[in-house]
Amino acid sequence: MPQKSASTIIIRRLLWLPVLLILISLTVFLFGTYGPGDPVLVRLGSKANPEAVERIRAELGLDRPLHEQYLRYLWNVIQGDFGESTYFQGQLVTDLIAGRLLVSLQLGVAATIIVFAVGIPLGVITAALQGRVWDRLIVSLTLIPESVPVFIIIPVLYFIFVRQLKWFPASGWDGLFSPSAVLPLIVLSIGGIAGVVRQVRTNTLEVLHNDFVRTARAKGLPPSTILRRHVLRNSLLPTWTMVGFVIASLPAGSIIVEGLMGIPGIGGLAWESIFRRDYPVIMAITLLGATLYVIGNLIVDIGYPLIDPRIRY
Amino acid sequence: MWTTRKLLTLAAIGLFVFASNPACRLIQGVQNPGSANPPGPGPRVSREGTLTLLGGDPPTLDPATTGDATSATYIVEIFSGLLTLDRDLRVVPDLAERWEVSPDGRTYTFSIRRDAKFHDGKQVRASDFKYSWERAANPRTLSPTADTYLGDIVGVSDMLAGRAQQISGVRVIDDWTLQVTIDEPKSYFLAKLTYPTSFVVDRENIERGGRTWTDRPNGTGPFKLREWRKGQNIILERNENWYRGAPSLLRVNYILSGGSPITMYENDEIDATVFGILDAERILDPSPNNRLYREVVRDKDGQPGVAMLSTFYITFNVTKPPFDDVKIRQAMNYAVDKDRLISVVLRNMDIRADGILPPGMPGYNPQLRGYRFDPATARRLVAESRYPDLSRFDITLTTVGAGANPARYIQALTEMWKTHIGLDAKIEQVEWATFLDDQFAKKYTFFEGPGWIADYPDPQNFLDILFYSKSKQNHTGYANPEVDRLLLQARVERDQNTRLRIYQQVEQMIMDDAVWIPLFHEKQFWLVKPWVKGFVVAPMIIPTLQYISIER
Repeated sequence: MPQKSASTIIIRRLLWLPVLLILISLTVFLFGTYGPGDPVLVRLGSKANPEAVERIRAELGLDRPLHEQYLRYLWNVIQGDFGESTYFQGQLVTDLIAGRLLVSLQLGVAATIIVFAVGIPLGVITAALQGRVWDRLIVSLTLIPESVPVFIIIPVLYFIFVRQLKWFPASGWDGLFSPSAVLPLIVLSIGGIAGVVRQVRTNTLEVLHNDFVRTARAKGLPPSTILRRHVLRNSLLPTWTMVGFVIASLPAGSIIVEGLMGIPGIGGLAWESIFRRDYPVIMAITLLGATLYVIGNLIVDIGYPLIDPRIRY
Repeated sequence: MWTTRKLLTLAAIGLFVFASNPACRLIQGVQNPGSANPPGPGPRVSREGTLTLLGGDPPTLDPATTGDATSATYIVEIFSGLLTLDRDLRVVPDLAERWEVSPDGRTYTFSIRRDAKFHDGKQVRASDFKYSWERAANPRTLSPTADTYLGDIVGVSDMLAGRAQQISGVRVIDDWTLQVTIDEPKSYFLAKLTYPTSFVVDRENIERGGRTWTDRPNGTGPFKLREWRKGQNIILERNENWYRGAPSLLRVNYILSGGSPITMYENDEIDATVFGILDAERILDPSPNNRLYREVVRDKDGQPGVAMLSTFYITFNVTKPPFDDVKIRQAMNYAVDKDRLISVVLRNMDIRADGILPPGMPGYNPQLRGYRFDPATARRLVAESRYPDLSRFDITLTTVGAGANPARYIQALTEMWKTHIGLDAKIEQVEWATFLDDQFAKKYTFFEGPGWIADYPDPQNFLDILFYSKSKQNHTGYANPEVDRLLLQARVERDQNTRLRIYQQVEQMIMDDAVWIPLFHEKQFWLVKPWVKGFVVAPMIIPTLQYISIER
């Protein structure tokens, strides 16, 4: 079987991206149109005047045939115009998203760094101390975030750190290096850390039982050298696949965390927009999330040969 | 050995950290001075002279397109109109210092204050009002409320329909005099002019600012918009040029990012907050060591909580069986033990509603004959009705909810009907957007809506809008020719006492026809920090920040 170059893979993935985005946008569009709730009525509330509703629907093009609405939307998106929010009068979707993207990006990148910076050392430590108290304790602790949903974790953290200890503010955002970022970062990264710890521990234990590790020990190499040179390189490779998962799961995680914790990021905006039936914003965020997902997986594929030269496409 | 890859990685991390710093604006682009929504972390607002509250993101800050309470909360502070409501909900002069009414009651001549200025110091003239109202009535402005609040003015409906370029009923006599002609002598017209739709806006500001002119509005109200970071906060600062003198508050910081209000209040992150039934038991405990109890806002009688101009109720579609029989509707009213509902389920946090108009509304009738709890009468009425066996009906009570258990008072109500008259109503919860959609399409037979909150303090705002047979807001299908006749008569009655008597008569007729089951009038409960003086909890949205000061 002829081997494909990495660039061929990347190009093929990138060519698929627009097709994927069209399919996703069509799905969201159809759900939005056929689902219950009218964005104009949500904006005007229970005292809406029917004539005003009709006028505004016509102005926003919501009275046009469905295919026409969708094709117009697609044509505008191709030109970089995601339209106007149906809730925030006169506000462009791109402006709304731009204002919140940096907050989510900071949280997302910081959470990803924390997941691996904490998860990998803990995973290696537990493997090295297999069967001892610390190993059992850490592995048991990783079960908590895996089995308790975030909407339980958040109130518990709030009760301890906000209500009782008053260490952190109850809501809001003062930047990544402020107390307001601590709880969101904990919640965003705690699940990922647990996954990485267990994955690294399993991989490391597997590698530790290989013949070449025994040979290295027999040669009298110090344990730290064995771990760095022989064990880690081989055990971290499967962990690399988790980078993609962590990045890809960030948008979904941030919707819940930002929505519940009052963080003015993209997730919070998505959460609010769903209740407001603000379809232009929901569509734009969905497309952004899908793009992130594809890029996350692409990073994993590109990273494989860099970590292990034996892997070729 | 520093390889290129390592250096690049370090550079990327450094750049990210640098961009994350609130003080850094390099990566965030050059800030557009015309944008009130710059990206990046929120500012740390000085607490000195600042009132901090929780708020919501307003759908608009354009007075002409205001149709919701969240937007109105900010707009009444940033902008103003000819008239306003004082703390006792009386219509009082604002930018108009006085007005005269013609003998036929159709023409109002307003004299505009000479010291009325926009935030930038520019004089407010009569022509600014003409421009503002014509802009609101222009179909391209997409005002959801121009018909409701300006529709009485001659020529507004023509402009809204695209048949005219100007409002024929608005004339600029000179810089300080504005003449307005309405279609019929309606005494509640002045009350409508206190709503944001009729507020004055600056033409230059709008033409220069384009689509996002409200990011930098040049209003006339006691406060100016300093900053609006969507999803983060809105900061208002006092208008030093306000014609009544600068307010005491330097700044008002509305936190938009949500959070737990009571926790934030207890942590001193906000200075005042509304609270509900879930926190009531702890906060309203009068024991001496409960600091929160001492910080609860009280009404004029010294009782915790302030009554709102609102009524919450159950609505029937009176055209559908079994609710097309008045005896069934009356029986359902008699079967409800409101006193128990209020004391047990609502913990006395609301006021029992016997009629449609809330206490405090002109024309409120304490002698109104409502429906006292009387299960025997309820059973007798069912037996006398066309539907003596209610168990054969598949009845669904629709209510707004988010998927958890329905409100406890709704569950209690259905239990009362089942126990006393054998009506087994299923509860169907629908999400807010769906409810609006279906209510608009008149799909419901029997529902508990979002309540009716006054837009202006006049009984016409309840009785005419909700029960006149041709009203767009009549969701009941109720059409009583005698009620219609009296409502039309009340619209043009010049004598206020006579007018209010007519409305009381109408209210009694509607209650006799049992079109609603009025449940309660809402009370709002607020906590306010001791250093906040002059905090006003108003029964409806009026400008209140001008009365507040901070004394730490």
